[in-house]
Amino acid sequence: MKSLQLDFKRKLLLILIILSSTIIYSQSEEKESKIHINGYIKSLQGLFDFSLAPGQPRQTITDNFLHHRLNLDYYISDNITFKSGLRTRLFFGEFSRIQPGYGNLLTEGGNDVINMTLINSGQNILLHSIVDRAYLEYTKENLEVRLGRQRINWGINTLWNPNDLFNAYSFTDFDYAERPGSDALRVRYFIGFAGSIEFAIKAFKDTNEIVAVGLYKFNKNNYDYQILAGWSGKDVVLGGGWAGSISDVGFKGEFSWFNSTSDEVDNAFAITSSFDYSLGNGTYFIGGLLFNDSSNNQSNSNIFSFDLSARNLYPYKWSTFIQTTIPITPLINGGFAFIYSPVESRPIFLSPTLSYSIANNLDVDLVGQLVLQDGANGYGSQANVFYLRMKWSY
Amino acid sequence: MKHIQVQIQISIFCLVFSSFPQIGQSQNHTAIDIIEKADKKQRGDYSQGEMKMSIIRPDWSRETTMKMWSYQDDLSLILVTEPARDQGTAFLKRFKEMWNWQPSIDRTIKMPPSMMSQSWMGSDFTNDDLVKQSSMVVDYTHEITGEDDLEGRPCWEITLTPKDDAAVVWGKVITWIDHKDYLQLKTEFYDEDDYLVNTMTAKEITDLGGRILPRIMEMVPADEEGHMTKIEYLSLDFSKPIKESFFSVRNMQKVR
Repeated sequence: MKSLQLDFKRKLLLILIILSSTIIYSQSEEKESKIHINGYIKSLQGLFDFSLAPGQPRQTITDNFLHHRLNLDYYISDNITFKSGLRTRLFFGEFSRIQPGYGNLLTEGGNDVINMTLINSGQNILLHSIVDRAYLEYTKENLEVRLGRQRINWGINTLWNPNDLFNAYSFTDFDYAERPGSDALRVRYFIGFAGSIEFAIKAFKDTNEIVAVGLYKFNKNNYDYQILAGWSGKDVVLGGGWAGSISDVGFKGEFSWFNSTSDEVDNAFAITSSFDYSLGNGTYFIGGLLFNDSSNNQSNSNIFSFDLSARNLYPYKWSTFIQTTIPITPLINGGFAFIYSPVESRPIFLSPTLSYSIANNLDVDLVGQLVLQDGANGYGSQANVFYLRMKWSY
Repeated sequence: MKHIQVQIQISIFCLVFSSFPQIGQSQNHTAIDIIEKADKKQRGDYSQGEMKMSIIRPDWSRETTMKMWSYQDDLSLILVTEPARDQGTAFLKRFKEMWNWQPSIDRTIKMPPSMMSQSWMGSDFTNDDLVKQSSMVVDYTHEITGEDDLEGRPCWEITLTPKDDAAVVWGKVITWIDHKDYLQLKTEFYDEDDYLVNTMTAKEITDLGGRILPRIMEMVPADEEGHMTKIEYLSLDFSKPIKESFFSVRNMQKVR
């Protein structure tokens, strides 16, 4: 036990050294230096209010953690760059404590094929650190090659991204915009000011996990377009997307057709589209639709934990969303998101947000996530999540 | 906050690159001629530089520093270098299209055209102050109404009155343009009831990248004590040609 504690302390010390050195470094950083460092430290206080199963009494639990991100780019030569990202979290709330092996869950969810977890230690107080970016980038004229753990973000639409085959994003995961990386090879050749042709393949342990896709992007008549084709798991995928405007209103969309090669999985089709508009005073509106053919459309699906992938971006067949952000003052921003799916339980996802800029690099956010739907006691709130987040960027 | 930042930066596209008066000589000193000269000379070909914008309020202030590259009014690229929170965020404008690069999520976002004509949130500038500079020529009638010395330079005081059919927000604009370099050193914006709304002042005239220009521009709203937005050029260069291919989505992601 003692050695475990020592081990923990040693790791904590290591993290503190990394932290303090990056802060000192970032303050004395020179322009055009070979190494570029930035990141943030966040403190999160969460409150979950939910019942484990229908009919069971509701419970309230806390989630508390510190979250540190360190991005380090090393410009080795004019053509070669190494880019990396380290994500470290220290959990000390109830949410992580009541889930045995929570650290292992984080390791599983955060890694691709290669295990790049540096620290996974403790239960009551859990320290978890993972390298979520580590890749070499080679560029020569219009060619760019990246090898290693990287984010391949192919989305062109705003909220839902059926083209995002390498790393689907769920908007409920508000504290990890960076998303885990894929262990992959990505080759891009750029054409013109907004076009490219590219190919990406992800590492795999068995052939059922292959994701290997080609993507072609081009710009025509003030629209960006993209077309993709390849393999994703057991599917042959064909997809595309667009981003342009009708008059002053932004108009975007994305679709993917998943042709299953397996008897166990059905074919699937997902399409989404959205319009966005910004008023003169800075108030921003976006509204859109998702059709998700692969959804089983079950009324009691869980928005916080469903099997997320590009072929299944939301647990219901049809969903519509509206989101707005309002600059209340130059320092205070309000936001509100609303998603509704027309199934029997009439599920509504609501997310009010309020952010305040305390100083140039210090922000505080209040984020709410509420699910309303039919439950044991009639229609009403089934799960509520609130977070208070403080973020210092460096 | 991020959204506000975005809007600020978008408007800077419109603002920054339309506010470089240049050197010129003229023998004709009619009001319209002076305004046209001041306007035409704002259209440089290439420019690149770094600027700092400060939003100042009685009890707080915020600063954003950015690098900018532009070719005429059509192509521009802005990279945010400070604050750390927005570092690396970049904006590309090509004619009527605009993109935003978010390095944290490795994603390029196409922006709706409505964002380009947005007011300059958080600061005391509005688009109508400067963006539609050319409208100063076409939408108003002009009259020399006085002479004054500003920054140690003799200036014409020119009053601009909107034409009947012009779609402009101001009831009247008074601008002071210096005799020697046609610099717009001060501009007062009045509403339709003839009340002063904003005053824009240019300061610290100096050699910036080979041109005589004010290094600092300040916008002060008339009825709000202690409010100000300040734009400060840290460096500017008009001499280096920039290839058209520089203004690409790819370069927006790469530029440092």
